[in-house]
Amino acid sequence: MDHRPQAWGRPRDDVYGAYDHSYLQNSGPKQATQAPIVTGTSVIAMKYKDGVVMAADNLASYGSLARFPDVKRLRVFLDSSVVGFSGDVSDMQFLDRHLTDLSIDEAYEDPSCTAAPNGKGHLNAANLHKYLQKLLYKRRNDFDPLWNQLLIAGFDGHSKPYLASVDLRGTSFTSPSLATGFGSALAQPIMRRYAETEEDAAKLTREQAVEVIKECMKVLYYRDARSLDRYSIAVVTKDGVELKEDEQLEKQSWAFAERIKGYGTQTV
Amino acid sequence: MEFGTSGVLSEDGIHVDMDRLKKGEVNLGTSIMAVTFKDGVILGADSRTTTGAYIANRVTDKLTQVHDTIWCCRSGSAADTQAVADIVQYQLGLYHMVNGRPPTTQIAAAVFQEIAYANKDRLTAGLIIAGWDARHGGQVYNIPLGGSLHKQPYSIGGSGSTYIYGYCDANWKEGMEEAEAVAFVKEALKEAIKWDGSSGGVIRMVVLTEKGADRHLYLPDSDYKVRHQ
Amino acid sequence: MTSIGTGYDLANSIFSPDGRNFQVEYAMKAVENGSTSIGIRCKDGIVLAAEKVITSKLLKQGANKRIATVDRHLGIVYSGMIPDGRHFVDRARDEARGWRDNYKTPISTKDLAGRMGGYMQAYTLYQSVRPFGITAIIGGYDSELDTPVEGEVGSGPSVGAGGKVEGKKHGGPFLYMVEPSGLYWGYYGAATGKGRQAAKAELEKLDLSSDGESSLTLEQAVKEAARIIYVAHDDNKDKEFELEMTWISGADGPTKGRHQEVPEALRKEAEKYAERMTAKDIEEEEETKEGGDKMEE
Repeated sequence: MDHRPQAWGRPRDDVYGAYDHSYLQNSGPKQATQAPIVTGTSVIAMKYKDGVVMAADNLASYGSLARFPDVKRLRVFLDSSVVGFSGDVSDMQFLDRHLTDLSIDEAYEDPSCTAAPNGKGHLNAANLHKYLQKLLYKRRNDFDPLWNQLLIAGFDGHSKPYLASVDLRGTSFTSPSLATGFGSALAQPIMRRYAETEEDAAKLTREQAVEVIKECMKVLYYRDARSLDRYSIAVVTKDGVELKEDEQLEKQSWAFAERIKGYGTQTV
Repeated sequence: MEFGTSGVLSEDGIHVDMDRLKKGEVNLGTSIMAVTFKDGVILGADSRTTTGAYIANRVTDKLTQVHDTIWCCRSGSAADTQAVADIVQYQLGLYHMVNGRPPTTQIAAAVFQEIAYANKDRLTAGLIIAGWDARHGGQVYNIPLGGSLHKQPYSIGGSGSTYIYGYCDANWKEGMEEAEAVAFVKEALKEAIKWDGSSGGVIRMVVLTEKGADRHLYLPDSDYKVRHQ
Repeated sequence: MTSIGTGYDLANSIFSPDGRNFQVEYAMKAVENGSTSIGIRCKDGIVLAAEKVITSKLLKQGANKRIATVDRHLGIVYSGMIPDGRHFVDRARDEARGWRDNYKTPISTKDLAGRMGGYMQAYTLYQSVRPFGITAIIGGYDSELDTPVEGEVGSGPSVGAGGKVEGKKHGGPFLYMVEPSGLYWGYYGAATGKGRQAAKAELEKLDLSSDGESSLTLEQAVKEAARIIYVAHDDNKDKEFELEMTWISGADGPTKGRHQEVPEALRKEAEKYAERMTAKDIEEEEETKEGGDKMEE
C-alpha cells in the first residue's frame, strides 16, 4: 500500500485503479468564484435643487425567503455622502468596512474634521464614486467580483449635487435619477417624469423629491416580490446627511381589491 | 441518493466519485436556533447527522463551545463547520491570554465572519453564534452561507428552520424568563423535527448566563418532556 | 557623565556595570530638549496639546501638525525627534488598523499603549538600532456604548440584551505616556519635553482623578491645557510658538467620540484665558517681590 502523504485520504490504487488527478486539478481557467446568497433588492435615488434623495428597503432575502427584515442598506460616508447597496450583503459589509478604513485614512490627513462636509480636502461623492468604480472593476478583472450594484450620492468638487452608480463589473453611470435592480424598470420611469434632465432636477424642491421617491418605493413594494414595506431614506444636502432608517410605507392603495371579482366575466 | 457520472468505475464495481466525496460528505441537515432572554442566551439543536438519507449519527452534538460562555450552532458541512469552530476556539483562547480578558461575543462573531467570508467559495457553513459576556449580556449573531453577519434577537437555521419561521415569529417574546425561553426553543425544535426529514433525534440546549454554561438534554422517547441533563 | 570614555554608552545591547542602558538615557535627553507636549484626562474626555516652537518665519501657520490621529478615537502627541515621532505614529496606525482587521472593532487605548510600549522597548535591545528619541502621549476615548461588529446589520431585542452585569462602567477616556525605554503608565495628566517640570506642577493642581463637582470638565481642560502650555513656554520666552490642541469626548460630547482638533473659536478663547492667567501670575510674582523688598526696608 502507498503510505506517502500524497495518497492519504484517497482511494487505494491497488483496489480502485490509478487515481485520476484531474479531479483535484487546480490549474486551468479560474472559475468565477461566487454567486450572491443573501441579497438586498433595489436602491433608488434622485437629485433635486439642493441635494440628493436616496431610498432602499430594509430587507435582505435568502432566495425567495424574506430572511432578515431589518437590514439597513444606506451607509453614510464622512457625514457628506451616502452609498446605497443592492446585491450581496456579505460584500456590502466588506465594502462598508472598507469605507470605514477609508474614512480613517481621511482623518489622518485632516485631524480637524471640523470643516464643512463639502469643504476642500475631503473625499467627496464624486471622488468616492470614482474610487468604488475602480475597486469593483479591479475585482471583476480578478474574477472575484463584489456582487453589488451601488448608488453614490453627495456633492462633486464644484459643490453641485452628485449622483452615480457602479455595478459588479465596474460599469458606471451618472444621471439626475438612478435606480438599481427592479427599480431600473419600475421606479426609473416615474422619476424621469419629474427629473428627465439636470435642469428639471434643479427645479425640484426637497419635498417634491422626497414625495417622488416615496411614491417609487410604494410601486416597488407593490411589484417587487423581494421587497419590504419598511425602508430607509436619506437626504444629502450641503449641511450633511439626514438618514431615517425605519420608515413605514404610507398611503398604500389596496381597497380597490373589493371591486375585483373572478378573473373575467364573473361579477360576484 | 443520486450518483454523478464522473469518476472511475473500478473492477469491483465500486464507484469512486471525487465530486461526491466532497459534496455527499457528512451533512448537518439540521434544525438549530439561539434565543436571547432576560438573563442571557440559549442555544438549541436537534441531533441528526445525515449522508443523503442515511443517518450517520443520531446523537450528534451540534452545539460547540468556542470560549467559556461563547458557543455556536453548526449547520451545513460537518467537516467545514468543525474546522472553522476549531480555528475560532484557538483564536479566542489566544485572545484571552494575550489581552488578559475574555473575548466578547462580538470578537467571536468577527473572527467567525472573516473566515466564512474569506472562504465563501470553499465552505458550506451556516453558523449561529451565541454568547454571554459581562459587558453586553446575551447576544445572538447569525452567519449564513455567503459569510454576512447579522445581529438578531433570536435566530434559526438549518434545513429544519424553514418549517418553523411562522411558529417562531408568532410565539417569540422579548425578555422571557429562562423556563419560558427553554420551552420556546423546545417547542420550535419539536416542530422542526416533526416536519423536516433531515432533523431528528434528541434536543440539546445550552443556557449561557452570568453563572456559566448549563446543558439541557431532552429525549424523543419521553416526548422531550423530561430534562435528562 | 561617568559613562563617557568607558564604551558602555556606545551601543544599545550593552549594559554598563551599574546596570544602565546609556543609549536609552541619551534618547531621553533628546526628549528633554524637545518642545513641550501635554495630555489631560478629565472625567468626560481627553485633551492633547503641543507647544510648537516656530523655527522659521517661512513655515506656514497652522501647517506641519504635531498631534496625529491614529484611529477615530485615538490621538498621539510627542516630544523629541519629530521624524521618530512620525514613524511611531505610522506604527500606531498600523497596529490600530491591524486590530480592526482582525476583530472588526476599534482597539482600546490600553491595548494600543501596550503594543506601542512593546514596540519602543524592542528598540532598546539590539545593536543595529537606536532607541526612539521621543516620549509619546497616547490619548483615547473607548466607547462606553455597546460597540457593534464593524459592518454588522440587524439588531438585538428592542428591550436590550439580557443578563448584563449591572453597575460596571465600560470604556471612557484614557491617557498613557510611553518613554524611550518602552516604559508606559496610565496617567490623569501627562507632560513631556522641555517644559515638563512646570507643566507637571500645574497638572498636579488640577482635580482630574475624582468624578465630583469640582473635577475638571472637558472644556475647562481645554483652557487649562492652553494655560499649561503657556506656563511651560515661559522659560523659552524668546521663541515664538503656536499652540496646537486636539480633544476627544464621549459619544454624547462635542466630538462624538472622535479625536479632533479643538475648534478655532474655543482654541482662541483658551489662548486668551491662558494669556490672561500667565500675565496675572507674573504680576503676582512681581507684587510679592516688591512686598518682600518692603519688608526689608
